[in-house]
Amino acid sequence: MTIYSLYIFDRHCSCVYYHDWHRSLRAKVATEGNILPAVSHEVYSKPTEGDVSGTPTPSYPGSRLALSSSTGIVVAVNEQPPPTPATVATQTATQATTSSLSFDEEAKLVYGVILSLRNLIKKLSGRDEQFVNYRTSTYKLHLFETVSGFKFVMLSDPNTDSLRFILRQIYAGPFLEYVVKNPLVSMDSKERGIDNELFRLSTDRLVRNVSVFS
Amino acid sequence: MVTYSLWVINKAGGLVYQRNFADGLAQLSSNEYLVLAGTLHGIHAITSRLSPTGTSSGVQVIEGETLKITIFLTLTGTKFVLVTSLADQNSEPVLRKVYEAYADTVMKNPFQTPEMPIRTDNFDLRISTLLGGS
Repeated sequence: MTIYSLYIFDRHCSCVYYHDWHRSLRAKVATEGNILPAVSHEVYSKPTEGDVSGTPTPSYPGSRLALSSSTGIVVAVNEQPPPTPATVATQTATQATTSSLSFDEEAKLVYGVILSLRNLIKKLSGRDEQFVNYRTSTYKLHLFETVSGFKFVMLSDPNTDSLRFILRQIYAGPFLEYVVKNPLVSMDSKERGIDNELFRLSTDRLVRNVSVFS
Repeated sequence: MVTYSLWVINKAGGLVYQRNFADGLAQLSSNEYLVLAGTLHGIHAITSRLSPTGTSSGVQVIEGETLKITIFLTLTGTKFVLVTSLADQNSEPVLRKVYEAYADTVMKNPFQTPEMPIRTDNFDLRISTLLGGS
Protein backbone atom coordinates (compact mmCIF):
# COMPACT_ATOMS: atom_id res chain seq x y z
CA MET A 1 0.00 0.00 0.00
CA THR A 2 1.40 3.32 -0.91
CA ILE A 3 0.69 6.75 -2.32
CA TYR A 4 2.35 7.76 -5.56
CA SER A 5 1.57 11.33 -6.44
CA LEU A 6 -0.66 14.37 -6.03
CA TYR A 7 -1.74 16.81 -8.73
CA ILE A 8 -3.76 19.98 -8.20
CA PHE A 9 -5.48 21.58 -11.20
CA ASP A 10 -7.19 24.95 -11.23
CA ARG A 11 -10.38 25.79 -13.09
CA HIS A 12 -8.42 26.90 -16.15
CA CYS A 13 -7.27 23.31 -16.77
CA SER A 14 -3.68 23.97 -15.81
CA CYS A 15 -1.66 22.03 -13.29
CA VAL A 16 -0.73 24.36 -10.42
CA TYR A 17 0.89 21.91 -8.01
CA TYR A 18 2.59 18.52 -8.16
CA HIS A 19 4.14 16.31 -5.50
CA ASP A 20 5.27 12.68 -5.66
CA TRP A 21 6.41 10.07 -3.16
CA HIS A 22 6.98 6.40 -4.07
CA ARG A 23 7.04 6.80 -7.78
CA SER A 24 9.36 4.37 -9.57
CA LEU A 25 8.60 5.54 -13.11
CA ARG A 26 9.13 9.27 -13.38
CA ALA A 27 7.95 11.62 -16.07
CA LYS A 28 10.59 13.45 -18.05
CA VAL A 29 11.11 17.12 -17.24
CA ALA A 30 8.54 19.39 -18.80
CA THR A 31 9.13 21.21 -22.07
CA GLU A 32 9.82 24.83 -21.29
CA GLY A 33 6.80 27.06 -21.70
CA ASN A 34 4.29 24.23 -21.50
CA ILE A 35 3.94 24.29 -17.77
CA LEU A 36 3.44 27.15 -15.32
CA PRO A 37 6.28 28.20 -13.05
CA ALA A 38 6.02 27.23 -9.36
CA VAL A 39 4.33 23.87 -9.77
CA SER A 40 7.05 21.60 -8.41
CA HIS A 41 10.82 22.09 -8.51
CA GLU A 42 11.21 18.49 -9.71
CA VAL A 43 9.55 18.93 -13.07
CA TYR A 44 11.67 21.69 -14.57
CA SER A 45 14.89 21.12 -16.44
CA LYS A 46 17.72 21.80 -14.04
CA PRO A 47 20.75 23.94 -14.89
CA THR A 48 23.66 21.74 -15.93
CA GLU A 49 26.71 21.21 -13.69
CA GLY A 50 28.69 23.76 -15.69
CA ASP A 51 26.59 26.81 -14.91
CA VAL A 52 25.85 26.31 -11.25
CA SER A 53 26.84 29.92 -10.80
CA GLY A 54 23.82 30.92 -12.86
CA THR A 55 20.64 32.10 -11.25
CA PRO A 56 18.81 29.38 -9.33
CA THR A 57 15.74 28.53 -11.43
CA PRO A 58 14.33 31.90 -12.45
CA SER A 59 10.81 30.54 -12.10
CA TYR A 60 10.80 30.93 -8.33
CA PRO A 61 10.91 34.56 -7.27
CA GLY A 62 8.68 35.41 -4.36
CA SER A 63 7.52 31.96 -3.53
CA ARG A 64 10.56 31.41 -1.33
CA LEU A 65 9.19 33.82 1.21
CA ALA A 66 7.47 31.94 3.99
CA LEU A 67 4.99 33.86 6.04
CA SER A 68 3.76 33.14 9.50
CA SER A 69 0.09 32.42 8.94
CA SER A 70 -1.23 34.20 12.00
CA THR A 71 0.86 37.36 11.96
CA GLY A 72 1.83 37.67 8.33
CA ILE A 73 5.46 38.30 9.25
CA VAL A 74 8.14 36.92 6.96
CA VAL A 75 9.69 34.08 8.93
CA ALA A 76 12.01 32.61 6.33
CA VAL A 77 13.57 33.67 3.05
CA ASN A 78 15.25 30.97 1.00
CA GLU A 79 17.24 30.87 -2.20
CA GLN A 80 16.72 27.18 -2.87
CA PRO A 81 14.25 24.96 -1.08
CA PRO A 82 16.09 22.59 1.27
CA PRO A 83 15.05 19.20 -0.08
CA THR A 84 13.94 16.74 2.55
CA PRO A 85 16.34 13.78 2.88
CA ALA A 86 13.68 11.35 1.72
CA THR A 87 13.10 13.09 -1.60
CA VAL A 88 16.83 13.22 -2.30
CA ALA A 89 17.06 9.49 -1.70
CA THR A 90 14.18 8.63 -4.01
CA GLN A 91 15.47 10.97 -6.66
CA THR A 92 18.89 9.37 -6.85
CA ALA A 93 17.48 5.85 -6.58
CA THR A 94 14.96 6.21 -9.38
CA GLN A 95 16.56 8.63 -11.77
CA ALA A 96 17.34 5.80 -14.19
CA THR A 97 13.74 4.93 -15.01
CA THR A 98 11.83 7.69 -16.70
CA SER A 99 8.61 7.25 -18.56
CA SER A 100 8.24 8.16 -22.21
CA LEU A 101 5.95 11.07 -21.33
CA SER A 102 7.16 14.49 -20.30
CA PHE A 103 5.57 16.04 -17.25
CA ASP A 104 3.46 18.58 -19.12
CA GLU A 105 2.01 15.88 -21.39
CA GLU A 106 1.32 13.67 -18.41
CA ALA A 107 -0.49 16.45 -16.54
CA LYS A 108 -2.64 17.13 -19.60
CA LEU A 109 -3.54 13.46 -19.94
CA VAL A 110 -4.49 13.24 -16.26
CA TYR A 111 -6.71 16.29 -16.61
CA GLY A 112 -8.25 14.96 -19.81
CA VAL A 113 -9.07 11.63 -18.25
CA ILE A 114 -10.75 13.06 -15.15
CA LEU A 115 -12.72 15.56 -17.24
CA SER A 116 -13.94 12.88 -19.66
CA LEU A 117 -14.84 10.49 -16.86
CA ARG A 118 -16.71 13.22 -15.04
CA ASN A 119 -18.76 13.95 -18.15
CA LEU A 120 -19.28 10.24 -18.83
CA ILE A 121 -20.64 9.60 -15.33
CA LYS A 122 -22.86 12.70 -15.46
CA LYS A 123 -24.26 11.77 -18.85
CA LEU A 124 -24.81 8.15 -17.92
CA SER A 125 -26.52 8.81 -14.60
CA GLY A 126 -28.57 11.72 -15.89
CA ARG A 127 -28.11 13.64 -12.64
CA ASP A 128 -25.34 15.56 -10.91
CA GLU A 129 -23.32 12.53 -9.94
CA GLN A 130 -19.62 12.97 -9.21
CA PHE A 131 -16.83 10.77 -10.48
CA VAL A 132 -14.89 9.46 -7.44
CA ASN A 133 -12.12 7.11 -8.48
CA TYR A 134 -10.92 4.53 -11.00
CA ARG A 135 -8.60 1.58 -10.76
CA THR A 136 -6.25 -0.24 -13.15
CA SER A 137 -3.98 -3.21 -12.42
CA THR A 138 -1.18 -1.04 -10.98
CA TYR A 139 -2.71 2.15 -9.59
CA LYS A 140 -5.87 3.87 -8.44
CA LEU A 141 -6.75 7.50 -9.17
CA HIS A 142 -8.86 9.52 -6.73
CA LEU A 143 -10.52 12.84 -7.48
CA PHE A 144 -11.80 15.56 -5.17
CA GLU A 145 -13.27 18.67 -6.71
CA THR A 146 -13.90 21.88 -4.79
CA VAL A 147 -16.75 24.29 -5.45
CA SER A 148 -14.23 26.83 -6.73
CA GLY A 149 -13.17 24.42 -9.46
CA PHE A 150 -9.88 23.20 -8.04
CA LYS A 151 -9.33 19.50 -8.70
CA PHE A 152 -7.24 17.45 -6.30
CA VAL A 153 -6.02 14.21 -7.89
CA MET A 154 -4.14 11.48 -6.05
CA LEU A 155 -2.59 8.30 -7.43
CA SER A 156 -2.21 5.39 -5.03
CA ASP A 157 -1.85 1.64 -4.80
CA PRO A 158 -4.83 -0.14 -6.48
CA ASN A 159 -5.86 -1.87 -3.24
CA THR A 160 -6.45 1.23 -1.14
CA ASP A 161 -9.94 2.35 -0.18
CA SER A 162 -11.20 5.76 -1.14
CA LEU A 163 -8.66 8.49 -0.34
CA ARG A 164 -11.08 11.34 -0.87
CA PHE A 165 -10.95 12.27 2.81
CA ILE A 166 -7.19 12.93 2.56
CA LEU A 167 -7.68 15.18 -0.46
CA ARG A 168 -10.36 16.99 1.51
CA GLN A 169 -7.99 17.33 4.45
CA ILE A 170 -5.31 18.80 2.19
CA TYR A 171 -7.87 21.28 0.90
CA ALA A 172 -9.24 22.21 4.34
CA GLY A 173 -5.82 22.30 6.00
CA PRO A 174 -2.63 23.22 4.13
CA PHE A 175 -4.35 24.55 1.01
CA LEU A 176 -6.55 27.05 2.82
CA GLU A 177 -3.84 28.02 5.27
CA TYR A 178 -0.82 28.39 2.98
CA VAL A 179 -2.33 29.04 -0.45
CA VAL A 180 -5.68 30.79 -0.09
CA LYS A 181 -4.59 32.88 2.88
CA ASN A 182 -1.13 33.53 1.47
CA PRO A 183 -0.95 36.97 -0.18
CA LEU A 184 2.16 35.99 -2.16
CA VAL A 185 0.36 33.21 -4.00
CA SER A 186 -1.61 34.50 -6.95
CA MET A 187 -4.44 32.04 -7.41
CA ASP A 188 -6.27 32.03 -10.71
CA SER A 189 -3.46 34.05 -12.31
CA LYS A 190 -2.99 31.60 -15.22
CA GLU A 191 0.68 32.53 -14.93
CA ARG A 192 2.09 30.70 -11.97
CA GLY A 193 1.49 27.65 -9.82
CA ILE A 194 0.82 27.68 -6.09
CA ASP A 195 3.93 25.88 -4.85
CA ASN A 196 5.48 27.31 -1.71
CA GLU A 197 7.58 25.81 1.02
CA LEU A 198 5.07 25.76 3.85
CA PHE A 199 2.36 24.21 1.71
CA ARG A 200 4.74 21.55 0.42
CA LEU A 201 6.02 20.71 3.89
CA SER A 202 2.64 20.46 5.57
CA THR A 203 1.13 18.49 2.68
CA ASP A 204 4.09 16.16 2.85
CA ARG A 205 3.62 15.71 6.60
CA LEU A 206 -0.11 15.12 6.23
CA VAL A 207 0.31 12.47 3.52
CA ARG A 208 3.15 10.70 5.31
CA ASN A 209 0.97 10.31 8.40
CA VAL A 210 -1.78 8.50 6.51
CA SER A 211 -1.98 4.80 7.38
CA VAL A 212 -1.78 3.62 3.76
CA PHE A 213 1.49 5.51 3.24
CA SER A 214 4.48 3.24 3.80
CA MET B 1 -27.36 -4.51 -6.05
CA VAL B 2 -28.69 -3.47 -9.42
CA THR B 3 -27.29 -4.20 -12.85
CA TYR B 4 -28.17 -1.29 -15.09
CA SER B 5 -26.59 -1.93 -18.43
CA LEU B 6 -24.28 -4.15 -20.50
CA TRP B 7 -22.16 -2.93 -23.41
CA VAL B 8 -19.90 -4.76 -25.82
CA ILE B 9 -17.29 -2.53 -27.50
CA ASN B 10 -15.30 -3.86 -30.45
CA LYS B 11 -11.57 -3.36 -30.80
CA ALA B 12 -12.00 -0.17 -32.81
CA GLY B 13 -14.12 1.48 -30.11
CA GLY B 14 -17.49 0.94 -31.74
CA LEU B 15 -20.46 -0.13 -29.67
CA VAL B 16 -21.72 -3.46 -31.05
CA TYR B 17 -24.16 -4.41 -28.29
CA GLN B 18 -26.01 -2.42 -25.67
CA ARG B 19 -28.83 -3.49 -23.42
CA ASN B 20 -30.45 -2.00 -20.30
CA PHE B 21 -31.76 -4.15 -17.48
CA ALA B 22 -33.06 -1.69 -14.89
CA ASP B 23 -34.25 1.90 -14.69
CA GLY B 24 -32.15 4.42 -12.80
CA LEU B 25 -29.85 5.70 -15.53
CA ALA B 26 -30.60 8.50 -17.95
CA GLN B 27 -32.62 7.62 -21.04
CA LEU B 28 -30.11 8.03 -23.83
CA SER B 29 -30.43 7.62 -27.57
CA SER B 30 -28.38 4.98 -29.35
CA ASN B 31 -26.20 7.74 -30.81
CA GLU B 32 -25.36 9.00 -27.34
CA TYR B 33 -24.42 5.47 -26.27
CA LEU B 34 -22.11 5.25 -29.28
CA VAL B 35 -20.36 8.46 -28.21
CA LEU B 36 -20.00 7.26 -24.61
CA ALA B 37 -18.54 3.95 -25.76
CA GLY B 38 -16.02 5.76 -27.94
CA THR B 39 -15.05 8.00 -25.02
CA LEU B 40 -14.57 5.00 -22.77
CA HIS B 41 -12.38 3.36 -25.41
CA GLY B 42 -10.14 6.45 -25.51
CA ILE B 43 -9.97 6.76 -21.73
CA HIS B 44 -9.01 3.10 -21.51
CA ALA B 45 -6.03 3.70 -23.80
CA ILE B 46 -4.83 6.78 -21.89
CA THR B 47 -5.12 5.27 -18.40
CA SER B 48 -2.66 2.53 -19.27
CA ARG B 49 -0.04 5.19 -20.04
CA LEU B 50 -0.41 7.10 -16.77
CA SER B 51 0.99 4.38 -14.54
CA PRO B 52 3.48 5.60 -11.91
CA THR B 53 5.20 2.20 -11.71
CA GLY B 54 5.66 0.84 -15.21
CA THR B 55 3.34 -1.08 -17.48
CA SER B 56 -0.28 -1.10 -16.48
CA SER B 57 -3.54 -2.43 -17.79
CA GLY B 58 -6.19 0.03 -18.85
CA VAL B 59 -8.90 1.11 -16.47
CA GLN B 60 -10.74 -1.82 -14.88
CA VAL B 61 -13.24 -0.25 -12.48
CA ILE B 62 -14.66 3.29 -12.50
CA GLU B 63 -16.62 4.45 -9.46
CA GLY B 64 -19.02 7.34 -9.06
CA GLU B 65 -21.01 8.17 -5.95
CA THR B 66 -23.74 5.61 -6.62
CA LEU B 67 -22.72 3.69 -9.74
CA LYS B 68 -19.83 1.54 -10.82
CA ILE B 69 -18.54 0.69 -14.30
CA THR B 70 -16.59 -2.56 -14.62
CA ILE B 71 -14.56 -3.14 -17.78
CA PHE B 72 -13.27 -6.51 -18.91
CA LEU B 73 -10.81 -6.48 -21.80
CA THR B 74 -10.38 -9.74 -23.70
CA LEU B 75 -7.11 -10.77 -25.36
CA THR B 76 -8.57 -9.94 -28.76
CA GLY B 77 -9.37 -6.35 -27.76
CA THR B 78 -13.12 -6.63 -27.31
CA LYS B 79 -14.35 -4.85 -24.17
CA PHE B 80 -17.26 -6.01 -22.04
CA VAL B 81 -18.65 -3.23 -19.88
CA LEU B 82 -21.13 -3.63 -17.04
CA VAL B 83 -22.79 -0.66 -15.34
CA THR B 84 -24.01 -1.58 -11.86
CA SER B 85 -24.80 0.02 -8.52
CA LEU B 86 -21.80 0.78 -6.32
CA ALA B 87 -22.46 -2.11 -3.91
CA ASP B 88 -22.30 -4.80 -6.59
CA GLN B 89 -19.44 -7.25 -5.93
CA ASN B 90 -20.23 -9.70 -8.66
CA SER B 91 -19.42 -7.79 -11.86
CA GLU B 92 -16.18 -9.51 -12.86
CA PRO B 93 -17.43 -13.12 -12.74
CA VAL B 94 -20.60 -12.01 -14.55
CA LEU B 95 -18.53 -10.39 -17.33
CA ARG B 96 -16.55 -13.62 -17.76
CA LYS B 97 -19.82 -15.51 -18.16
CA VAL B 98 -20.96 -12.93 -20.70
CA TYR B 99 -17.70 -13.49 -22.60
CA GLU B 100 -18.41 -17.23 -22.58
CA ALA B 101 -21.88 -16.63 -23.94
CA TYR B 102 -20.39 -14.31 -26.58
CA ALA B 103 -17.89 -16.97 -27.65
CA ASP B 104 -20.60 -19.63 -27.83
CA THR B 105 -23.37 -17.75 -29.58
CA VAL B 106 -21.74 -14.88 -31.47
CA MET B 107 -18.29 -16.07 -32.50
CA LYS B 108 -19.58 -19.49 -33.52
CA ASN B 109 -22.44 -18.00 -35.51
CA PRO B 110 -21.57 -18.26 -39.24
CA PHE B 111 -23.95 -15.39 -40.08
CA GLN B 112 -22.26 -12.93 -37.73
CA THR B 113 -19.87 -10.45 -39.37
CA PRO B 114 -16.91 -9.75 -37.05
CA GLU B 115 -16.80 -6.28 -35.45
CA MET B 116 -20.38 -5.54 -36.52
CA PRO B 117 -23.43 -5.01 -34.27
CA ILE B 118 -24.61 -8.22 -32.63
CA ARG B 119 -28.08 -9.33 -33.72
CA THR B 120 -28.26 -12.90 -32.50
CA ASP B 121 -31.31 -14.19 -30.65
CA ASN B 122 -29.32 -16.84 -28.84
CA PHE B 123 -26.96 -14.25 -27.34
CA ASP B 124 -29.95 -12.20 -26.16
CA LEU B 125 -31.39 -15.32 -24.60
CA ARG B 126 -28.18 -16.25 -22.77
CA ILE B 127 -27.79 -12.70 -21.47
CA SER B 128 -31.39 -12.72 -20.26
CA THR B 129 -30.82 -15.88 -18.24
CA LEU B 130 -27.57 -14.42 -16.86
CA LEU B 131 -28.73 -10.93 -15.98
CA GLY B 132 -32.50 -11.10 -16.04
CA GLY B 133 -34.54 -8.48 -17.81
CA SER B 134 -37.03 -8.94 -20.59
